Amino acid sequence: MPDTMFPVKVVRGVPVVITPEEVDIVNASELRAALLISAAHGPGTFAVDMSQTRFCDTAGLHALVRAHQRAQADRGKMLLVVPDLTILRVLAITGLDRVIPHVATLEEALDQVAQPEAAG
Amino acid sequence: MTTVDPVRGRARLRDIQAITDAALSRLDDRTLLAELLDRTRDVLDADTAAVLLLDAPSGELIATAAAGLEEEVSQGVHIPVGHGFAGRIAAECRPVILDHVDHTTVLNPILWAKGIQSMVGVPMVAGGKVIGVLHVGSLTPRQFTRADTELLQLAADRAAAAVQSMAANANRAAAAALQRSLVPSALPSVTGMEMAARYIPGTGGVGGDWYDVFVLPSGELCVVIGDVAGSGLPAAVIMGRMRSALRAYALETRDPSEVLGRLERKIQHFEPDALATVLYAIIEPTLDRMQVCLAGHLPPVMARAGQSAEVIQIAGGAMIGIGADAQRPVTTVPIPPGALLCFYTDGLIERPGRVIDDGLAQLCQAMTAAPPEAVCAAVMSSMVGSEPSRDDIALLMVRRHVHPAPPGDLAGTTEG
Repeated sequence: MPDTMFPVKVVRGVPVVITPEEVDIVNASELRAALLISAAHGPGTFAVDMSQTRFCDTAGLHALVRAHQRAQADRGKMLLVVPDLTILRVLAITGLDRVIPHVATLEEALDQVAQPEAAG
Repeated sequence: MTTVDPVRGRARLRDIQAITDAALSRLDDRTLLAELLDRTRDVLDADTAAVLLLDAPSGELIATAAAGLEEEVSQGVHIPVGHGFAGRIAAECRPVILDHVDHTTVLNPILWAKGIQSMVGVPMVAGGKVIGVLHVGSLTPRQFTRADTELLQLAADRAAAAVQSMAANANRAAAAALQRSLVPSALPSVTGMEMAARYIPGTGGVGGDWYDVFVLPSGELCVVIGDVAGSGLPAAVIMGRMRSALRAYALETRDPSEVLGRLERKIQHFEPDALATVLYAIIEPTLDRMQVCLAGHLPPVMARAGQSAEVIQIAGGAMIGIGADAQRPVTTVPIPPGALLCFYTDGLIERPGRVIDDGLAQLCQAMTAAPPEAVCAAVMSSMVGSEPSRDDIALLMVRRHVHPAPPGDLAGTTEG
């Protein structure tokens, strides 16, 4: 996958965008690019690992909302991994926790969206 | 390789210098563009020179600056990308030389009507994208050469840089002007109440934060504060539209949840890419109670006389623009005499390295049930200090006077 400032790795066949400690107006466009790349890879299902993220402003939320809507329109799915209480608080205040599916660990996310591996 | 004739070589060097002249940089962008067109016309020995800029939404090139045939600009010539001479240059992003000018090769009738015989044009490129076209024309038939094209491309690169800088300055100035006109520093004067507000642009420039306070025909006071995702002119424009839409809905319906529901539907339909948090509140004419509805916005903080300030516990609804259909809950909040209400945007509270609850606790600590202007200053000092915020900040304080206002006396109010 092309390089963006936000690393995208493929785990169990699922693209995973890893967001840095801070997501804001300064790097929101990098996030958008990483989300687009992940959505374009395979069947349009991917995860956003926000385990390291402690700060996310409206520009960051904007990128996540649009990626979620695009995934839905393409019959794919975007799953957030959010263990951090501050980010959970932001999602709760903005009402996004009721709109974008999210789980606490990457394992849970992959269990939900990874394709079952071929036997053997 | 061709051997360079020393005389022609010197002349060419002079031409290049005329266009790359460092002295041009001292001119402001608009003057630079005009001067550049004059010099381009001179060095290429052409009769006209014109800049057409791409208007991305319409996909048309619009004549913006001209030397020799100024009517191109004054008559607002529009050329669709992909059509005619200039349209082809923009679509293909490459120079085009034309030795035969008439209605079959050139769309703009001014050019062939004035008797232009030959033309050469090049794309203006900035950030890897075509932003316009620079072309010159001659009233006598001639063959423009490759050297002419190169010289013209040099001028086009210079012009592109000037145009980019002009657009950035214009956007910044327009966003700031829009913000100033929509977030007035003068608040309505309401009997029995006192208000103060702050708007501070972030270090990234003007953003989409706004507040609005107005008295409804019923005598109720309407308070709005919001934050449109994004920055600069696009965010300021969306903010302006949301502000007017909310004013219109406020006149039509009393239910705060319905007002925000209508805003949601309007944004879904007309601005599907917009996203915003909004707080909408109505304060009764007696000032006894407030009804608040949140669309993804942080809850207000209240300082009651003689008590420490608290975040008002309110069940919030979803942000505007995410397509949530669910009704947003409305909470009724009693306002005791002397209480001070604080409405704010996330720039005040949220900051890298500070979690939301710590920010809210710090805000509560900085607030007292005192006159709003003084508390605004105290809050800004505590929350922002001397370190500028990356995000913009809107802050609005509303205080109910200790002594009750005579009933229904909101008359004679003015609106900011």
